[in-house]
Amino acid sequence: MAQYVVRRLLLLVPVVIGILLITFLMKALIPTDAVTAMYQGQLSEKEAAQAIATLRAKYHLDLPWYQQFFIYVGDLMQGDFGESIRLRKPVIDEIGYRYVNTILLTALSLVIALVLGLTTGILAAARRNTWLDVTATTVGLFGISMPAFFFGLLLILVFSVWLRILPVVPHGWMAIILPAFALGIIEAAPLSQVARSNMIDVMRRDYILAARARGQSEMALIFRHALPNALIVVLTVVGLQIGNLLGGAFIVETIFSWHGIGELAVNAIQWRDFALTQAIILISAATYLIINLVADIMYAWLDPRVELVS
Amino acid sequence: MLNRRQFTLASASALGALAMGISQPAFAQAEKVARFRLTIDPEGLYNVQSISLVVSEVLGNYLLESLVYLDEKGQAKPWLAESWEPSADGKVITFKLKPGKVFHDGTPFNAAAVKFHFDTVMDPKNASPSRAMISPLQKVETSDDMTVVFTFSKPFAPFINLLGLSYFGFNSPTAVKAAGSAYPRHPVGTGPFKFGNWTPGTSIELVRYAEFKQYRPDAKNQGPAYLDRIVLNVLAEEGVVTSALQTGELQAALLTADAVRPLEGDKQFNIINDQNAKNLMFMEFDYKKPPFDDKAFREAVSYAIDRESVLAAAFGGNGKIALGPLSRGIPGYDDTVAQKYGTPYDPEKAKALLDAAGWKVSGDIRAKGSMQAKFTVRSYASSTTERALAVIQANLADVGIQVDVGTADWGTFYPGLLKPDWDMDLNRWTWPDPSVMSQLFRSPGHRQLLPANPAIDQALDSADTALDPAKRFQFVSDGQKAILEDRLILPLLTDWPITVVRSELEGYRLDFLGRLYASDLKITG
Repeated sequence: MAQYVVRRLLLLVPVVIGILLITFLMKALIPTDAVTAMYQGQLSEKEAAQAIATLRAKYHLDLPWYQQFFIYVGDLMQGDFGESIRLRKPVIDEIGYRYVNTILLTALSLVIALVLGLTTGILAAARRNTWLDVTATTVGLFGISMPAFFFGLLLILVFSVWLRILPVVPHGWMAIILPAFALGIIEAAPLSQVARSNMIDVMRRDYILAARARGQSEMALIFRHALPNALIVVLTVVGLQIGNLLGGAFIVETIFSWHGIGELAVNAIQWRDFALTQAIILISAATYLIINLVADIMYAWLDPRVELVS
Repeated sequence: MLNRRQFTLASASALGALAMGISQPAFAQAEKVARFRLTIDPEGLYNVQSISLVVSEVLGNYLLESLVYLDEKGQAKPWLAESWEPSADGKVITFKLKPGKVFHDGTPFNAAAVKFHFDTVMDPKNASPSRAMISPLQKVETSDDMTVVFTFSKPFAPFINLLGLSYFGFNSPTAVKAAGSAYPRHPVGTGPFKFGNWTPGTSIELVRYAEFKQYRPDAKNQGPAYLDRIVLNVLAEEGVVTSALQTGELQAALLTADAVRPLEGDKQFNIINDQNAKNLMFMEFDYKKPPFDDKAFREAVSYAIDRESVLAAAFGGNGKIALGPLSRGIPGYDDTVAQKYGTPYDPEKAKALLDAAGWKVSGDIRAKGSMQAKFTVRSYASSTTERALAVIQANLADVGIQVDVGTADWGTFYPGLLKPDWDMDLNRWTWPDPSVMSQLFRSPGHRQLLPANPAIDQALDSADTALDPAKRFQFVSDGQKAILEDRLILPLLTDWPITVVRSELEGYRLDFLGRLYASDLKITG
C-alpha cells in the first residue's frame, strides 16, 4: 500500500514536466506576451519600445522558449513560481488565498451534491416507480442538462432579486452560498442517478433477499446492507466529479465573483500573464492527480475485492 | 427521525431565520455609503505602473488630482496648478502651483511632488507605460517650492491637455518611497476620498477625506465629499450587476447597451450616456497592397458602409455616427470638415465609383482583370465588433465586394496589425487629444504602412507643436481634412459609455475627460 502511494506520487513528477512542456510549447505559438498586452496601442512608440524591452528582459521573455523553460524549472525546484507581470508581485501571493477559496467552494459543493444526490437517489430506489422516483429522475435530468452559469443566474434571480433572502453582492462567508449550491445541485443530479441504479442493483442481490427473509426491517436493509455496497461505485463517480467541480468552478467563480483560481485563470489568460497561468495549471493538475489517488485508495480500502497494483 | 410535517416546519423556520439574519446587516446603512461596480480587480493602484481603464477609473475619480482639468469645451483650466507659461521657443513650460494642498498622509503637495511623479515616470528602470505619451519631455525642475519647470526636446502641444488625465495625477512622494513595491496596494493622493482597504478580487473601500479642499471651481460642492464611504465591488458578470442594481446593492454601474435594456423605463434608474466620449470606431486598410493602395477604391468602400446600422447593431444606437477622423468628444473636432469631406452612406455612389475604377460585376462579385473583389477584414474579439462586422460584410456584399470577417482577442489581433496579413481592419481607439491622429496617420502610421503624405504630415506635425490653442486647432482641422481627402480612414462611430445610476444617488456627473465629480455625490432617502 505505502509503496503504491509513493509510486503514484512519484508519477506526479513526469506528469508535471509533461504539462510544463506542453504549456511552454503552446506559449511559443501565441504571438503576444504580457508585456505587449500591457502596452497595447503604444507599440509603435520609441519610448514604449524601450520600456517593453526592459520588462521583457526582466522576465526573460526575450529568450527562446526552451531557455525560458529551463529557467522556469530551475526556479520551480527552489519553490519559486515566478512573478506576475501584470500584478507585479510573486505569483504565489495571489494564488495562495485564491486556491483556498476554490478548495472551499469545491468542498462545500461536494457536500451539497452528496447530501442531495444520495438522499434523492436512495429514496428513488427505495420507492421505485412511485411519484417520488419519477420526480427525482425528472429533476435529475434537468440538472444534468443545465449549464452551471445559467443555473447560477437563475439562483440569483430567485433568491436575491425576487425573494431577497440573499444579497447579490455578497459579503464574507455568505458569498459562498449561491455558487456552492449552483455547482452542488448540478453535480447532485448524476450522483443521484448513479446512487439510484446501484441501489436498485444491490437490492436485487441474493444477500438482501436473505436478510429480508431473516426479518430485517426495510431501514436496516437499505442503510446497513445495501448502501455500503452501492456506495463503492458512487465513490468512483465522486472522484471524477471533483474534477468536474474544479472545472465548473472556473465559470461559476466568474459569475458569482467568488475569488478563486478559476476566476484568476480567466484573467491571467487574457493578460497573457504566463507565470500566473502556468502556476494555476500546475496547481490544478497536481490537485486533480492527488484527488484521483485518494479516490483510488479509498476505493481499495472500502472494497476488499480491489487490490492496488502499480 | 422527523416526519414529513415536522421536516417542512423545520425547513421553513430555518429559511426564515436565515433570511432575517442575513438581510438586516446587508441592507441597513447608518452612514452614507455608495456602492459602485468595477468590471475587474485593478492590478495595482499606481499610475506610474499601470494605465489600464480600471486603474485610471479608480485613481482619476476618487484618489488623485491633476494640474489641470478640461472644461466643457475641452479647454485646459487650472486645477492644482495656478497658471502656466510657455517660453518663446515653446520648449519650456513653467507651472505655478496653488498653495495649501495636502496629501492624505499629511505630506504637502508642492513642486517637489510634481517633479517626483514625472521623474519616476521618466526613469527607464520603471518602464512606465505612460512615458511614451509624453515622449518629448526631457526634464522637470523646481525653481521654488511652488514652481515647476518642464523642458521638452521640441514644442509639445498635447502636453497641457494630457496633464488632465489620471495618468498624471499625483501620489504622495513620502508614501511612494516608504511603501516601495507595496505602494500600488496603498495609494495616497490628494482627492476627495482616501484609500481605505482592499479585499483582493472583491472590493475596494474609499473613505471621505475630511480635510479635502476643492480646487476645481466647476464642482458643485466646494467642500469635502458628502458621502462617508464609497465601496467599489468587483463584479465581472453583467447579469449579476443588473440584479444588484435592482436590489439596491449597487447605486451605479457601467453597463453595455444589451444589459441596460431590461432596466430602461424603470423610474428607479437614471441612464447616463457619456456624450463626451473620446473613442472612435473606424476601419483602416492595408495601404501597401492593391487595390487598397488606390485612393479611388478606398473611397468606394467608404461610401458603402451604413454607419447607422452599424451603430444600431453594435451599440443599440447608443452613440453617434462619425464622418471625420477625430472623435466628436476630442477638442479640435471639426464638424464642418467632417460633413464636407466625409463619405456618408451612399451605396449607389459606391457602385458608380467601383464601375469607374474598372471593377466590373460578374455574378455576385466584382472583378478587375484577374483580381476578384474578395478581401479579409479582421478585428478584436467583442460582441460589438462582431455585430459591426456582420453589418459591414452585408453592406460590402451589396456593392459586389465579398469579405471574410473574423476576430481574435486583442492580444493576438494587435500584433497582427503590425504585420498585415489582412486587407482591412476594424479598430477602436480612445484618446483625449487630437494628437491621436498623429499616432495613427502620421507616416509611417501606427501600422508602419503609410507612404509619406506631405499635406497630412505637415498639418499633424504643426498641430503637435503649436502651443497656441487657436493656431493649433487650425492645424488640427487641416489634418482632419487631409486625412479624409486621402481616404486613409473609414470613420464609423463614437459610442457613448452607459452608466446606470439608481435614483437615490444624486450628483452623478462626468467631466469632459470622463472623470467623476466624486465630492458632489449624495445619497437621498
